[in-house]
Amino acid sequence: MIKKIILFFYIFFSLQILFSDSVRISQIDTSKLLINQNVDVYVSITNDQGNPIKNLSKEMFTIYESTDGKDFVQIDKITDFNNEVNSQKGINFLLLIDNSGSMYQDMNGRNTSNENNMRITSAKKAVRNFLDNINIDKDKVGLAVYNSYYTAYTKPIDDKEIINGYLDSITKPQQGEGWTEIYSSLYLAIDDFSTVKGRKAIIILSDGENMPYYTNTKKEHKDFGTKIFTYEEPIEESMKEGISIFAINFGSSAERKDANLRQIAKETGGAVFNAYDERELSSVYSKINNQILNEYLISYRATMFPSDKKFVKVNLNNKNRDYNSTRYYFSSTLFGQPLNKFAPLLFLLFLLALVFLWLLSLLKFEKINAPPSLEVLSTQVGRPVTKLLSLGKGGKTIIGSSENSDMTIVGAPTMKKNHATVQFDKTKSAYTIVADGDLTVNNRRVKSKVLESGDVISAGGSTIVFDEGMMTKMKTKKKKKK
Amino acid sequence: MSSFMKRVFLCLIGVIAGLAAWPFAETAMIYQAYFPSFLIFSIVVGLIFGLFMGSFFASSEGIILADKSKIFKGMITGAFVGLIGGIIGFLAGQFALFIIGQTLIHSMKSFNKIGLPISRAVGWSILGIFIGITEGIRSSSMKKISIGIIGGFLGGAVGGLTSEFLKQVIPNVLFARLIGLLIFGFFIGLFYGFVEKRLSYGVLRVLNGIYKGKEYLINQRKMKMGFSSKNDITLSEYSEIDENHAQVYIKKDDVYIKSLAKSAPVKVNDETISDHLLKFGDVVKVGEAKLLYKYQ
Repeated sequence: MIKKIILFFYIFFSLQILFSDSVRISQIDTSKLLINQNVDVYVSITNDQGNPIKNLSKEMFTIYESTDGKDFVQIDKITDFNNEVNSQKGINFLLLIDNSGSMYQDMNGRNTSNENNMRITSAKKAVRNFLDNINIDKDKVGLAVYNSYYTAYTKPIDDKEIINGYLDSITKPQQGEGWTEIYSSLYLAIDDFSTVKGRKAIIILSDGENMPYYTNTKKEHKDFGTKIFTYEEPIEESMKEGISIFAINFGSSAERKDANLRQIAKETGGAVFNAYDERELSSVYSKINNQILNEYLISYRATMFPSDKKFVKVNLNNKNRDYNSTRYYFSSTLFGQPLNKFAPLLFLLFLLALVFLWLLSLLKFEKINAPPSLEVLSTQVGRPVTKLLSLGKGGKTIIGSSENSDMTIVGAPTMKKNHATVQFDKTKSAYTIVADGDLTVNNRRVKSKVLESGDVISAGGSTIVFDEGMMTKMKTKKKKKK
Repeated sequence: MSSFMKRVFLCLIGVIAGLAAWPFAETAMIYQAYFPSFLIFSIVVGLIFGLFMGSFFASSEGIILADKSKIFKGMITGAFVGLIGGIIGFLAGQFALFIIGQTLIHSMKSFNKIGLPISRAVGWSILGIFIGITEGIRSSSMKKISIGIIGGFLGGAVGGLTSEFLKQVIPNVLFARLIGLLIFGFFIGLFYGFVEKRLSYGVLRVLNGIYKGKEYLINQRKMKMGFSSKNDITLSEYSEIDENHAQVYIKKDDVYIKSLAKSAPVKVNDETISDHLLKFGDVVKVGEAKLLYKYQ
């Protein structure tokens, strides 16, 4: 009796799984987030055949947000809800082709030398068929193969000829490379595909047996060592990236197929097709396209919790069963995350800034009581030994290249030893310059001149400013401020 | 003040501005979750940031001239223009950050290490541009506006990148953003001073008297010179100078000086002029003040 009950429950739950739906967030659009706080979530809901489920009502959905992907907060209200919103959006495909040893057998798993009977030939044919079906103006196709190792040929591109070229270049693996790493290769393919934007689908062409390198050879895999990937790992990864996985099966119907591949397809919103059914095979593209045409658009107001990225969880309650899908979007603000510890004491820094500003405002950039002086502003050639020289009210001040000059400028060939003399004239109460060599004052050639404060003397390539200093006469003549 | 000193001074002002803005911006940020939307949040944080940056930068002119009323007036108008610039800049920067961040987060493997700093730096640069131009708008000078765009952009980029990488080198550092903002202010000031010099039409250096050594960059289409502090080149404390004594102006990339004086003539190379084309090396005499027109 107990056995019967267990059997009943076993069958019941298997059926549940068999008829389960898949909810997948295929895209999050935050382009209006700053303007109206809206996040648009595109959700693909499919049955176990990979066909879209239509006409679900808004009430069946609940949206949650989280800053860490663990603690979710329910969003009060869905602001916009729409089915069949997408007219035509381009799709990025990644074709992942099994290139293991068994792909070079015939459909019934027997060795053959006739290329036409090999599974790989059918696989290539299926790919060419698929390429004929897609809309290359919008869609893009990438190509990768796997056996013991995963090899990417190209990221999604929109050139059929190049893809066909890559397809031709796929050759039989060497001895020891022919094992079948389905899960790890899918995982790597998803990782590769994660850097592509937009709607994404992986189509894996396989004869359906996962035969990891390490399990079969007991030798460490060059990339994974002793790690054996489970089928859950690619599922989890593809749900994070919003990628659906479709499988095309090349094994014979009699052969034991990888049941997990079906599970992977189902849980990621994909489907499994059989290669010997030509009609089914040609429907692969329309099926994927149909999914996208029937996506749901759910809009809601985003939460304001500070976080660099935010997780969105869409929950669908259909026939008393819950289906979830989680993805994240970028939500960082210009200055980043707030401080963990904030103390009002930090406002002391503001006071500090005010004090600094006040101190700066106290600075007087003025020269008061400066004595009369000569200052070398610049030299075209040579180098001044003294840059600034105070003038006394007695003897002579000599500008020249000689060491005995009062203001010595060395290395200037046109500078004479005693080029010019500045002397204080007591009767005029002013300084006079007398030239021995070529000299200009304020750009006028002179032999001698009574200097005014601020006069610019040019001698031997040097520019020298004469300053009478702060003169008492200036102060007395000063205009009264209004 | 020489132009080198002015550059150092502008950097200092920038650092002080960052210091002042930080605690206020930080306060708004801890309440992010209470804001109704990213729009309002961006407006408030941008307003706060722009207000302090704008007012502190606008005080610099008054401080250099040691003119208290110019400091005060500058800070008021600077705060007003700055808050508008801050709001627009923060919104534009945040918008760019969202777009670039959302693109890179789904298309870049090392998003946190490279993508986020890049997105943030772009956002900061845009904010920097708007902070940078406020000073130009305030003094209605096209030249200063273009200087501000370059200075603000570079300052924002360097400041944003530095703070972001700082956070990676020392995680959980309490003051990462403060240091970022100080660098932001410092670089806006630095590039502002640096670029200002490169884009100017030369320098007028005061040769004598109380303001000796002070250098005025010619970076506006019109610059007035005279006794009153309303002038761009204030020569108070010199005798024989009128309220508005002369005007330096730019026509077709040439610099001219025009006399507006009634009492004493304006002289160039000891010759009285009324309207005169200036060339490098010319000595200008305005009242008792002498200035040298030079390249840098």
